[in-house]
Amino acid sequence: MKLHQKLWVRRFLSLCVLAFFWEVLARRGIIDPFYAPAPSAVIRVVFSLFAEGRIFSHLEATFSAALAGLVIGVALGIVLGFAAALIPLVAELLEPVMMLLNAIPRVILAPLFVIWLGIELPSKIALAVVLVAVLIFFAVYSGIKDVDQLLVDRVRTLGGGRLILLREVYLPSVTAWVLGSLKVAVGFAFTGAVVGEFVAATRGLGYLLQFAQSTYNAALTLGLIFLVMAFVLLLFVCAEAVEHRLLRWRYRGYDQKAT
Amino acid sequence: MLRVSDLVLGYGQEPVVEGVNLEVAGGKFVSLVGPSGSGKTSILRAIDDLLTPRSGRVELNGSREMVAFLFQDDALLPWRSARENVALGLRIRKMSKSAAHAEAEAWLTRLGLEGLGARYPHELSGGQRKRVAIAQVLALKPKLLLMDEPFASLDAIVRTRITQELLTWVEREHLSVLLVTHDLEEALCVSDTVYLLSQGPRARIRASYEVSLPRPRDVFAARTHPAFAPLLEQLWRDMFEEVGPPRIEIK
Repeated sequence: MKLHQKLWVRRFLSLCVLAFFWEVLARRGIIDPFYAPAPSAVIRVVFSLFAEGRIFSHLEATFSAALAGLVIGVALGIVLGFAAALIPLVAELLEPVMMLLNAIPRVILAPLFVIWLGIELPSKIALAVVLVAVLIFFAVYSGIKDVDQLLVDRVRTLGGGRLILLREVYLPSVTAWVLGSLKVAVGFAFTGAVVGEFVAATRGLGYLLQFAQSTYNAALTLGLIFLVMAFVLLLFVCAEAVEHRLLRWRYRGYDQKAT
Repeated sequence: MLRVSDLVLGYGQEPVVEGVNLEVAGGKFVSLVGPSGSGKTSILRAIDDLLTPRSGRVELNGSREMVAFLFQDDALLPWRSARENVALGLRIRKMSKSAAHAEAEAWLTRLGLEGLGARYPHELSGGQRKRVAIAQVLALKPKLLLMDEPFASLDAIVRTRITQELLTWVEREHLSVLLVTHDLEEALCVSDTVYLLSQGPRARIRASYEVSLPRPRDVFAARTHPAFAPLLEQLWRDMFEEVGPPRIEIK
């Protein structure tokens, strides 16, 4: 068994042990099931959500908002980051705004988006976009500014102009930075979608969570939390696969390194 | 091939180099040595248009395309394979992809890297990366080669071997070379002329030395040639006058 497989087995086993003790303590009444229901109860609730088909429209709403927010946010962050890095005037105007947006907890914009865009999907997408775009903006902006000057000189001495520099040095450098931030961006996109639904919505996992909390349904709350975690983890794995595919030059061949 | 006249370079208020004059004739190997911080690298960068001089002239006998620059670091694109790195300059000069890759493979083979074209720089050893960097510049068939301590980071064995290989190639193809190095022995072994730069700031050419060792040269045999030791001694003496003799205080 490879090293990383062993690591995953160990992690899974420790999770099982934790769940087992939690189950035993809840069944014996040592911890109050009203506050912390047994894992089996949580699984039952999640299972029934799927079995009765009630969850699907909520999943669709949250996923639509998160994925749209992720795609638009990444694209916007890349465009603005490039513009700021290459055009000093744009940097002058954008940098303070982005710094400010980066410094504040951006989820406080959620009520404003609801007022502007209503309680349907667009306000959730907008929040996810703002969360993701600021992150990607700084990844691209600092990625271009910190690009290895030696590589720039190398391409210039080989006769490369601005376009070739962009293709051969800046874009690959920035791709590495953006992909490094992609996993965090996935988490941010879900945060935007769920918090947006929390504030005001008619559908979505955030809406369901809000409902579960208002009815003191701890099993449903925990089930939904685990569900969000599971989906984010799944997207993490996808993001990692994309990163390994696009940055194969970074990950390939350490085992056959020449001496 | 190259003439530098009254070159003044600087980053701050005080010039790093002031009034530098040097010349590299066609087919000649010229080295530039000097104390640390005397502006050797800046002079090379100014020659290849990477640094704008405050004043002075850099005249090339031909277009800028005939100049190639070998950096101290490999400066290979980490996201490009060895073959793609070598082909990069050729592609920039509008060669088709397939032709550029075939040419790159031929150069890699010539430099002893057969079968390693698909590897990324991090999959190669330091010596192999250096050879890829050499292939990258030689593939452009330059007439003038600028080298900034290109082998400083290599161990002694690899360094000597690559220096000899490159020297043999330079002699056979009658390339003109301007080498920047802090290694006085290396400079004398390979050069026809060695320029000594004075201590900066406001560094200038303090002296030049003609090295009349026979060619083709062997970097080992050159060290045992009767003309070598007196030249080296003179060069060290002049260098010590610039920076002061070595002092070791034991308390």
